[in-house]
Amino acid sequence: MSFETWDGDDESAAGRFVPLYVLVNGRTAPRDSTLDLATQVVALSVDTRRLEPEYLEIVRQCAGWISVAEIGAYLKLPLAIAKVMVDVLVEQGYLAVGTPAQQRIFDKSLLDQVIAGLERL
Amino acid sequence: MDRTSVKIVVAGGFGTGKTTLVASVSEIPPLTTEEILTEASLGVDDTTGVESKTTTTVALDFGRITISPDVVLYLFGTPGQDRFWFMWDELAQGAVGAIVLVDTRRLDSSFPAVDYFERRGIPFVTAVNRFFGECDYTEDEIRGALELDPKVPLVWCDARDKESSKLALITLVRQAMARLKVKA
Ligand SMILES: Nc1nc2c(ncn2[C@@H]2O[C@H](COP(=O)(O)OP(=O)(O)OP(=O)(O)O)[C@@H](O)[C@H]2O)c(=O)[nH]1
Ligand SMILES: [Mg+2]
Repeated sequence: MSFETWDGDDESAAGRFVPLYVLVNGRTAPRDSTLDLATQVVALSVDTRRLEPEYLEIVRQCAGWISVAEIGAYLKLPLAIAKVMVDVLVEQGYLAVGTPAQQRIFDKSLLDQVIAGLERL
Repeated sequence: MDRTSVKIVVAGGFGTGKTTLVASVSEIPPLTTEEILTEASLGVDDTTGVESKTTTTVALDFGRITISPDVVLYLFGTPGQDRFWFMWDELAQGAVGAIVLVDTRRLDSSFPAVDYFERRGIPFVTAVNRFFGECDYTEDEIRGALELDPKVPLVWCDARDKESSKLALITLVRQAMARLKVKA
């Protein structure tokens, strides 16, 4: 996770605010740095009986593909917490992860699909 | 089984119509997610611990558009206040690009957004939100005030209108594609 801040001229407006460190199961930042707020996850069909209620709630929310940001919004969890909890669930095999919007180089066919999708709206 | 996320940032100054634009094209009413931020320790006494530092909440609005069974486009509005640059970095990372909304009554309020994407080489288009139909400026005057690169597209828009928002989005994706061709 990068804490790079505004490098503009306006020193007084520089990004002085960073996410509050959150501690979830002793973890402060997602292990998998590709997990961003638009990354989608989906529940895998595994036994969830051992899960704590907070985690179970997330898995239930993931019956279909859903982004980390949507999980945060629906369950009213701050983004940083949603991310870390989703990451824990991915690591423990409860959730599968889709392709994040992280590739700097987009392939042309994906952008073609996006344009076609927007035109259909 | 896979699912790809595509991200577009909707930026611009305070009250320029970001949430309205997202709402006009999103298939769900815009959702809000919050991040709790703490003041960075730079120049702040670090021994006091996290509790006593200033914390603040920043809200992000976003919407979604299902492109195909495998691809979902997320539209993220930047927080209205410019001081939360950290969130901008997080939103811009991996994004196709950005729409910078401009309110002609306050052109300068969108300058930080233009400057942000320009400096980082992130594709963007400017969408001039005319609000009351009238605009006192020509395209050249707006380009001049925002110091726009001639290659940056400028579209006129009504953020409440779905077709207008679609046009701004499509213009952006085409701009991102043009950039791909230049790099290749
Ligand atoms: N007439 C007119 N009003 C608009 C248009 N776009 C937005 N508005 C109105 O302008 C106000 C601000 O719009 P928002 O979409 O909330 O702006 P925003 O950029 O999300 O604002 P912040 O998140 O507070 O920075 C709202 O009352 C909108 O209804 C437009 O194209 N025409
Ligand atoms: Mg808004």
